[in-house]
Amino acid sequence: MLQHVYLIPLIPLAASILILLGAKEDPRSPMPFLGIAATGWCLLQSIAIFYGAATGALSLPYGADWRWFSFGATAGGKPFLYDMPVGVLIDGSAAMMLVVVTLVSFLVQVYSLSYMRGDPRFKRYYAYLSFFTASMLGLVVSSNLLVTFSCWELVGFSSYMLIGFWFERPDPPYAAKKAFITTKLGDLGLYLALMLIFCQVGSFQIPQIREFVARGFMPAAAATAIGLGILCGAAGKSAQFPLFIWLPDAMEGPTPVSALIHAATMVAAGIYLVARCYFIFAISPVAMETVAWIGAITALLAATMAMVSYDIKRVLAFSTVSQLGFMMCALGSWGFSAGLFHLTTHAAFKALLFLCAGSVIHAVHTNDMRQMGNLDKKMPITFFATLAGTFAIAGIPGFSGFFSKDMILERVFEHDPRLFAILAFSACLTAFYMFRLVFMTFLGQERDMDRYLHAHESPWPMTVPLFVLMALAAFSGWLLDRGEFFTRLVHFEALPGQAAAHEAAHAPAYLTWYVTAAVFFAIYLAYRLYGGSNFREAESIKRRCAPVFNLLERRYYLDKFFLALVGLGDQAARLAFWIDSEVVDRFFVDGWGLLMLALARLCHLFDDNIIDRSIDGTGGLSVSLGGTLRWIVRRGLVQEYLLWSAAVMSVLTLLTLPAQRYCLGASVGLGLLAILTLLLVRRPR
Amino acid sequence: MNILSLITFLPLAGALLVLGLPRESKRAVQVVALLSSGLTLVLSAGLYFLFDRHTSGMQFVERVPWIPSIGVQYFLGVDGLSYPLVLLTALMSFVSLVASLNIVKRVKEYFFWFLILEVGMLGVFISLDLVLFYVFWEITLVPMYFLIGIWGGPKKEYAAIKFFLYTLTGSVFMLLGILAVYFKSDPHTFDLLVLLQAHPDWSARFQILIFLAFYLGFAVKVPAFPFHTWLPLAHVEAPTAVSVVLAAVLLKMGVYGIMRVSYGMLPLGFQWFLPFLVVIAVINIVYGALCAMAQTDMKKMVAYSSINHMGYCLLGIAGLTVTGFSGAMLQMVNHGLITGMLFILVGVIYDRAHTRDINAFGGLAAKVPFYAGLMSLACFASLGLPGLAGFVSELLCFLGAFARWKVYTAVSVIGILTTAAFFLRMIEKVFLGPLNPKWDKLTDLDAREVCALLPLVVLTILLGVYPKPALDLMNATVVHMASLFK
Repeated sequence: MLQHVYLIPLIPLAASILILLGAKEDPRSPMPFLGIAATGWCLLQSIAIFYGAATGALSLPYGADWRWFSFGATAGGKPFLYDMPVGVLIDGSAAMMLVVVTLVSFLVQVYSLSYMRGDPRFKRYYAYLSFFTASMLGLVVSSNLLVTFSCWELVGFSSYMLIGFWFERPDPPYAAKKAFITTKLGDLGLYLALMLIFCQVGSFQIPQIREFVARGFMPAAAATAIGLGILCGAAGKSAQFPLFIWLPDAMEGPTPVSALIHAATMVAAGIYLVARCYFIFAISPVAMETVAWIGAITALLAATMAMVSYDIKRVLAFSTVSQLGFMMCALGSWGFSAGLFHLTTHAAFKALLFLCAGSVIHAVHTNDMRQMGNLDKKMPITFFATLAGTFAIAGIPGFSGFFSKDMILERVFEHDPRLFAILAFSACLTAFYMFRLVFMTFLGQERDMDRYLHAHESPWPMTVPLFVLMALAAFSGWLLDRGEFFTRLVHFEALPGQAAAHEAAHAPAYLTWYVTAAVFFAIYLAYRLYGGSNFREAESIKRRCAPVFNLLERRYYLDKFFLALVGLGDQAARLAFWIDSEVVDRFFVDGWGLLMLALARLCHLFDDNIIDRSIDGTGGLSVSLGGTLRWIVRRGLVQEYLLWSAAVMSVLTLLTLPAQRYCLGASVGLGLLAILTLLLVRRPR
Repeated sequence: MNILSLITFLPLAGALLVLGLPRESKRAVQVVALLSSGLTLVLSAGLYFLFDRHTSGMQFVERVPWIPSIGVQYFLGVDGLSYPLVLLTALMSFVSLVASLNIVKRVKEYFFWFLILEVGMLGVFISLDLVLFYVFWEITLVPMYFLIGIWGGPKKEYAAIKFFLYTLTGSVFMLLGILAVYFKSDPHTFDLLVLLQAHPDWSARFQILIFLAFYLGFAVKVPAFPFHTWLPLAHVEAPTAVSVVLAAVLLKMGVYGIMRVSYGMLPLGFQWFLPFLVVIAVINIVYGALCAMAQTDMKKMVAYSSINHMGYCLLGIAGLTVTGFSGAMLQMVNHGLITGMLFILVGVIYDRAHTRDINAFGGLAAKVPFYAGLMSLACFASLGLPGLAGFVSELLCFLGAFARWKVYTAVSVIGILTTAAFFLRMIEKVFLGPLNPKWDKLTDLDAREVCALLPLVVLTILLGVYPKPALDLMNATVVHMASLFK
């Protein structure tokens, strides 16, 4: 079974291509079933692997590599050809992730059959979903960090396409771009971390990197740099502080997409990547602490922002960010299993909550909770499903979130009580805002009659996934936690020389009950403020604490900050172009040309006025000389010419010959003779 | 006749035939041009199967004395560095000719000059004698001048003359360099292979001087900062197909020259120049991307993105590692494919809308989905999305440079972000959002455009997913080249 595990990402990929190219766009196209079938097959495979791993029938980790391409590299000063492999590496966490991704993807695709029906790009929607599933599965199974990174980018690309799916509207394109660019900003850190890894290890293969680290070859400084780089990427994709600004806007996408990508799977990729590279963090306390604190800060900030939002999807988005912070903090506190456990349970209950929100939005056609209310009898299934999800996320004992959050809190308490305090407080806030959501949406009085009357329970393709997820949200925590099953399957193999004791919890048992009591108090508060039909008390608090609310509604001005950064980038671009066109081109290049032109003019002037004039002058001189001569000898007698030449000759001889007396005498005599003859001859006839 | 000569001069034969055809028979002119260029493409592609991937030496060598009195030879050959570029040239020329089928003005002359241009470009990559190299190098100038100057946009004359003078200035210095190495070598020779062997008697000072002379010639073509300003202008004014070959092939002549001539012949000069080269590369990358971001003209934006992408090549070379060299070589091919695609696509919209202003459009994806899809694909390939060709070569360039220049490489990744920003902004403004009613009548790609684009699309995806075929051609040569350096 494992030897064909490479097919798990490839089959949805093939399905995606077939759906995209195979048929014309048609609202009743049967193509979506191809995508569902492909994902269903992957789901079965994943469950089989998970079951095999759970029973011990399959021995994990399993790895297999194939050659991809080769390129020149250098080792020890000698050039050689490096064969870049592409392969799969299935360990406990990968097996768990496979089930999470395929399951949620499958359910969301079924759900979308009804949710997206009638959309003019129904078919393309399924092509994108399949493509996303393929890339996400590739990310999960790959043994090569470069391939992981490639898939990482491709899930970002799918997310871009799906957030902007309704691109005719004004907001989704902007949100899609924002998501892509913000995550790309984080990816730069990851990209540099990959380079550093290759520089150090000479390979992208996770087992080899681990081996390298385990043998102590990796300098601590490099591990820190790599760890922080990976964290950068993870902070982008998993929406951690300060890069979480894109996730609330990503809610512009279709709601099933939010459930799949922006709640259950893609945003968990950052957590998964940190877990996948955990051995690097393990040797760098700095990187580890940073992970923990970033996670805790994110958990708190996002939870506070969720408390003031009225958009049902945005509340859930902030909640997702906050829960991801919990996971990150757990990882940073050496709670490897705890973090991934929460990832698993969160995937189920958050997907459930989003699909419920989708069901509500489908029914009332608005995201604004202030226009909902009293929907519990109109949509009983959705109501109970939401309730199950809320119980799970709030950590009501017995529901799945309780177990995973409890595990995290124990671990964090042991690691650093300050972090524990932050997370425990965030957990109370979580309970508050989630029950606020339930109260506002389903209970109290209807506030918008039109919408209320129009509301109805959703058809079966939407409710069946709700039932499945409801069951998981309720029971998966208990099932997985039983007999420490999850910890046995998904745990970090300690590096040699490192204490394996990190996983054993020593937190006092009463902690759980303190936190649970606080959670119930928060629920009570939510009931007091939002349980009635009007929120007079909540409104008055809001008025009294306006600056705080303002800060929260403006998302701590982080959006503003990043917008300013973008503006700065634009300014820089304009400056660069100004330099390019005005300085480099106009001044230097054209200036050079003009200089040459000026030089040419100068040459021309010199040529015209000095050289040419002097030539002309010489010519003119000869002409006038000739004219004078002709005036002297104008009669045309040959003898006369001869005589003139004799005279000139004698003068020349006089000038050139050595000045000796007889020479002098001879030439003077010759000259006189000639002049005499001339005078005689010239006498008029 | 040997195969390399055949490849190079088939377009010349086509050009002469075109010259002999009557002016009115446009169809015949087009057929002859496509046939001769297509045959060249087929022959170059045929070499793919004969090419020995395990040797770093020259293959398919032809050597005939040309001007024996000064030792000039007609000396041709290809290796892993030049063969991929020959293939790229043949492909891009053919694609450009297909894309040029809609030319209506002075068809005969257009195709004549285009074929001459192809001869020059092919010749540069296969000649192994410096005089021959120089002759081919200069041959490319003349057709380019006419192609921009006659068939170009509103400022075509200015662009043509600027291009011509700029490049000529560079190549004059190169000629000086060629003469200098001729007289320095003993016995005097223009034979590139002989000149590429080690010259212990060439002093560092001589090498640095000559390196700079050659570099001026090559840097203008690359184009490397600050010798790049002819490029945006030439691209904006040139007709679509000319922009395509200009970006896809002519720029590669510069990088090819640096790798083939400067690197091997003048190692000391090269080493001396390395710190400058890496700075220039970073400037090309970051500054080029920033300039591109400031553009509203799509074509100018793509032109500036070329400066950014050629910066990756320079960065790979400046790393002075096998990996960096592989990256630079692969990046040349990939940039040719991707930017060729982008220019054709920009031409498509310009043909229909007569504007390239990003702000003039909006929501076109609903109207021309196929076009929007291909444009997005090209943009994402250009911004380095994994799975498309640009990613692998960029990565190799960065990896190669990272070993030596950690800080510079870290700075230059800003270019990646900026590239993503301006391409996504373009996609958003042109294709997404509500449809601008002005473009209600816009039509999607026609058969000619699809024919021109399809090979590029297929290769971009293929080389992105599986770059092995291209890298295997280069590997032996690049390992040999790296072994030359200490």
